[in-house]
Amino acid sequence: MSIHIHQISKSFGSFQALKNVDLEVKTGELVALLGPSGSGKTTLLRIIAGLEFADAGEGSIQFHGTDVTNRSAYERKAGFVFQNYALFNHMTVAENIAFGLRVMPRATRPDREEIDKAVTELLRRIALEGYGDRHPSQLSGGQKQRVALARALAVGPQVLLLDEPFGALDAKVRKTLRKWLRQFHNETKVTTLFVTHDQDEAFELADRVVVLHEGDIQQIGSPQQLREHPKNEFVADFLDCVMI
Amino acid sequence: MAAIIDIAPAHSSRPRKATSDSLFSRVLIIGTAVGFMGLMFVLPLVVIFQEAFRKGWEGFIEAFDDRATMHAIWLTLKVAAITVPLNTLFGLAAAWCVSRFQFRGKRFLTSLIELPLWVSPVIAGMVYVLLFGAQGLFGPALKEHGIKIIFALPGIVLSTIFVTFTFVARILAPQMEAQGQAEEEAAMTLGANGFQMFWRVTLPKIKWGLLYGIILCNARSMGEFGAVSVVSGHIRNKTNTVPLHIEVLYNEYQFVPAFAVASMLALLALVTLILKTLTTTRRGAA
Repeated sequence: MSIHIHQISKSFGSFQALKNVDLEVKTGELVALLGPSGSGKTTLLRIIAGLEFADAGEGSIQFHGTDVTNRSAYERKAGFVFQNYALFNHMTVAENIAFGLRVMPRATRPDREEIDKAVTELLRRIALEGYGDRHPSQLSGGQKQRVALARALAVGPQVLLLDEPFGALDAKVRKTLRKWLRQFHNETKVTTLFVTHDQDEAFELADRVVVLHEGDIQQIGSPQQLREHPKNEFVADFLDCVMI
Repeated sequence: MAAIIDIAPAHSSRPRKATSDSLFSRVLIIGTAVGFMGLMFVLPLVVIFQEAFRKGWEGFIEAFDDRATMHAIWLTLKVAAITVPLNTLFGLAAAWCVSRFQFRGKRFLTSLIELPLWVSPVIAGMVYVLLFGAQGLFGPALKEHGIKIIFALPGIVLSTIFVTFTFVARILAPQMEAQGQAEEEAAMTLGANGFQMFWRVTLPKIKWGLLYGIILCNARSMGEFGAVSVVSGHIRNKTNTVPLHIEVLYNEYQFVPAFAVASMLALLALVTLILKTLTTTRRGAA
């Protein structure tokens, strides 16, 4: 599924977090939103998910040609993975993963056996077989993040949004999960947008990278394009700084 | 003094902390606290039960074999049965509002929730008399339609709601604020509607705090004296709640019945204390 973002602005009080942002993500693409903190990347991601609404105006968001600008988060059903996992702590791992299936309207909801099957399959996929009965508090950070990902994937989202998915993890786990995510994306080809402030992460994972600064898109391009032809001083400086 | 300070570490088997006090000051502080508690809280409780059982079990049970007493207990239960669910709903709504949204006048609303704590209950009662009493603002209109609020059950319920509406909201609001709403947002992106989000995600997170608030609200609504006293009119067999009835009995020198009924309230307080301790431990564990 493709995402079209057209002229989206967002202000919090007098602070303008996003200024007339235009962005197009093609079906099956893996795109990174890269920028320093306060650049508006998380806000943009939350607006796409419907967790935040853009300022009223001419701005619009389309999911595969359908206008979703005024739809709520639960209607959009974008798979969202939070920086701090946001797992349901009172539920087991299996219940967490099954949540999206269980809240479906009766008419479309799979029956109990199908849900169990789907959960087992997802647990296998995130290499946490046999962890279904544990509670989130009994898991490590990396395991929690995989559960959060499985939970988002259970409902078969058309688009996956990841907010600093590896931000709270140590360097080693980060590397492993990065590889895992890239491989996973190659297999499933779900349109994916992820936020990061880590330039290595963006360059290693993404097909295209969007560089943001103070609510403005500075440049959009493949990692190679960015590296070879930074469009302005900020991009060159930001990429250089991190590369040292 | 020096000797005492020297001996202190030797007496305790645990390693001494830098912040721990000398034996002398510990005894002094703990002694004062325990003594004060005993004098102010434990002794009166003991006296209540002692007086209630002055004529033994028979006297105690006889105290309840009385129409006015049974009516007062029944009325109090009715008032609590109406007040507690309403204030639970109100408290949830207020806590939700204060913890989830940023809006102008939020601080004002927060302090309004605490109003019952700093306004005298008598004033709470007076306000309703001034509004709904015979000489009150809406008095004539109410009389025309034959609606009786003051000196009747609605007035008692209203003033009890006023006095107890702070508990659930005040306990839940900080808790919900601290927990944040990431889990709720996750539920929404997974396709949960508002009700499913509340029922499956929010409620399990706050259930112990909610229960704690409900327990306190219940205890206060059954024990409220001041506000109810103003609006009830003390009509025996009609508008006397348990606390008001106790006063009547006491003023009529019926000491055993007065203390027997009072012991019911004291028992309620003890049960509340136990439940409160349990829910607080659970809240800490969760």
